[in-house]
Amino acid sequence: MTETSSTLLDRATEAAARRTPDGIAKRVRGLSDRMVAWLFIAPTILLLLAINIFPLIWAIQLSFTNYRANRPNEPIKNIGLSNYSRILNDADTWIAMQATAHFVFWTIVLQTVIGFTLAYLIDRKFRGHAFWTTIILVPMMLSPAVVGNFWRFLYEPQIGLFAYIVSFVTGLPTTDIQMLSNVSLAPWSIIIVDTWMWTPYVMLICLAGLRSIPDYIYEAAEVDRASNWRQFWSITLPMALPFIMLAVLFRGIENFKMFDMVNLLTGGGPGSTTEVASITLKREAFEKWRTGYSSAFAIILFVAVFGLANIYVKVLNRVKSR
Amino acid sequence: MAEVSLRGVSKSFGDTEAVSELSLDIADGEFVVLLGPTGAGKTTTLRLIAGLERPEAGSILIGGRDVTRVEPASRDTAFVFQQYSLYPHLTVFENLAFPLRSPARRMSEAAVKARVAEVAKLVRIDHKLENRATRLSGGEMQRVAIGRALVRRPAIYLMDEPLSSLDAKLRADLRLELKRIQAELGSTMLYVTHDQIEAMTMADRIGILSEGRLVQIGTPREIYTAPANLHVAARLGRPAINLLPVGLLPDAAAPAGAATIGARTEHIAIGKVNGAVASGAANGRVEWIEHLGDQNHLHVAVAGHKLVTLVDAATELRPGDGVSLQLKNPLYFDAAGARL
Repeated sequence: MTETSSTLLDRATEAAARRTPDGIAKRVRGLSDRMVAWLFIAPTILLLLAINIFPLIWAIQLSFTNYRANRPNEPIKNIGLSNYSRILNDADTWIAMQATAHFVFWTIVLQTVIGFTLAYLIDRKFRGHAFWTTIILVPMMLSPAVVGNFWRFLYEPQIGLFAYIVSFVTGLPTTDIQMLSNVSLAPWSIIIVDTWMWTPYVMLICLAGLRSIPDYIYEAAEVDRASNWRQFWSITLPMALPFIMLAVLFRGIENFKMFDMVNLLTGGGPGSTTEVASITLKREAFEKWRTGYSSAFAIILFVAVFGLANIYVKVLNRVKSR
Repeated sequence: MAEVSLRGVSKSFGDTEAVSELSLDIADGEFVVLLGPTGAGKTTTLRLIAGLERPEAGSILIGGRDVTRVEPASRDTAFVFQQYSLYPHLTVFENLAFPLRSPARRMSEAAVKARVAEVAKLVRIDHKLENRATRLSGGEMQRVAIGRALVRRPAIYLMDEPLSSLDAKLRADLRLELKRIQAELGSTMLYVTHDQIEAMTMADRIGILSEGRLVQIGTPREIYTAPANLHVAARLGRPAINLLPVGLLPDAAAPAGAATIGARTEHIAIGKVNGAVASGAANGRVEWIEHLGDQNHLHVAVAGHKLVTLVDAATELRPGDGVSLQLKNPLYFDAAGARL
C-alpha cells in the first residue's frame, strides 16, 4: 500500500518535472524551498540593512565620539559616555522634552476626542455619510509641506483667514492674534494644525473599531432594556477601546518625532518655545554640526520612543485579551 | 407573563416577503414552537414581536396592548439569539446580571446576585461565573445566552434556535430543562426551530411556517396525524413520510380526487415473500437495511419508487428479498397537495 502510493507520487513529480521548460528547470533544480524563499526576501532585507540597520549601528558608534561632520579631517576621539551624560544633564534637553510632551499630549487628547466623536457620528449611517467621510479624510491626504505652508498663510495676522475669523468671533484686533510669533500661542498653533491634519486618521481607525461591533449585540442590549447611554458605556466604548488605543499609539510615536510641520511653521521659535526634541536634534546636527553629540541625542530619543511604545503595546494586549 | 397576538402581520426585505399576513395567538403560559425550513420567516416573526423589525402591515399585541410602534425596550420581551450574542468583554456573571441592572428595574445588588446565582445553576454555568464570556465553549456561551433571558420575567420569551449549536447530549438535556422551566414558571414562550424532535417534545402547539405563511397550527398530535397538506406532512416523522402515487400499493379505499398517498412507517404493513417479485404477492424488493441498533430502516423499491420504513431490530429480511407491502389507513392528498 505505502509502496504503491510512493511510486504514484514519484511518477506525478516526474511528470511535473517533464512539463517544466528546460532552462528554468536547470536553474531551479537543486534549490531547496528555503533557498527560493531567501532569494525572494533578500532584496528587502538588503535594503533594510542599508538604509535602517547600518545607519543605526553607525550612529551608535558615532555617539561615543566627538566627531563633527563639517570637519572630516580632524582626528576622531572616543569620549565614552560623556555625550550621553552631557545631554541628560543639560537643562535645554528637558525643556525640549517638555515641549515635545506638551505637543504629544494635547494633540492626542484633541485628536482622540474629536476623532472618536466624528467616527461615532459617521457610524450612525445618516444620508450621505460616505460623502462626508471622504470630505473629512482630505487633510490627511495632503503633504505635510503643503499643509505647513498654507497654514502659515492662514495664520498670517494681516491677511490670514484664521486671524480674521478669530477676531470676528472674539472682537480682538487681528494684530493681537500672532499665532506663530506669540510665545504662548505658538505651541497651540502647531497643535491646531496637527489636529486638523491627523484627526481624520484617528477617526478612520475608530470607525473601523465601531464597525467591528456586531449589530446583534446592540439588539440584545436593546431587548435587555439598556439605554443608549448605557449601551455606549458598556458596549461601544469597551469594544472600540483597543482600536482607540491603537490610534493613540500611532499618533503618539508619530508626534514624538514630529519634525516637518514644526520646522515649516515656526522652526522651533519664537525663541525655543516650540523647539520639540526633533528640532533640537536638527539644530545640533546640521546647524552646530555636533555629529557625535546629536547621534547620542538620537539614540536617547529612539530608546525613549521604543521603550514607551513597548510598555504601551503590553497594556494594549491586556485590554484586547479581556 | 401575558398572551401575545399577531394580526395580519407582513414584513418584506426588498423584494422578498419574509412574513406575509401572519396571524397567530399565543395564550398566556403557552409554549408555541414555530417549525419550518431556513428562510420560512421564523426568525423574522420573532424579531417583529421583539420590536427589532417594524411590520409593514398588521399589528402586534402583547398582553392586550398594541405594541406595533413601541420600542423594543418597552415591550417586555426576552430574546435568545441564534448566535451567541454575549457581551464579550464582560464576565458570565456580568452578562447574566446585565438585564437586571437596567435602571427601569431598580433591583438591589443582593437581589441581582441571588437571581443570577439561581439562573446560573439552572443552566449549569454556576462554576464559571467569573470567566470572561469569550473564554467559554460554544455550548457554555449559549447556556449563558439562555440564562440571560431567564433572569427576567418578561411577557414572553422569544427563542431563536437556541439549541442548534449544541452537541446532541446537551441539546437533549437542555430540551427537557427548558420545557421544565417553562412549565414551572408558567411562562409564555415562542420557540423557533427546524428540529422536529424539539418541536414535538416541547410544544403545546406547533406552527408550521412556509414562505412567510402559517400553513397550520395545532397540537403536536394534530400536526402529526392530520397534516393540512403535503408540506406539513413532510416536516414531521422519522423516517420521513413516503409520498407515493395512488394505486402503487394495494389499498382499499382511496377517496375520489386523491392523487398522492402519504405513508408513514405505521401506515405500512410488511410481509416477507419467498420467491421472485413477479410471482404474485410480492410487490417490492428490499434494497438496503440501515442498522440503527434498536431498529432498522428498511429501504424498499416498488415499481421504480423508493420508500423507507421501520422494521424490527431482529428482522430476518435481507437485501434482495421480496416483500409484500400493504397500506393501513394512510393519508390522502389531492393534486394540489391538500389532505382529503
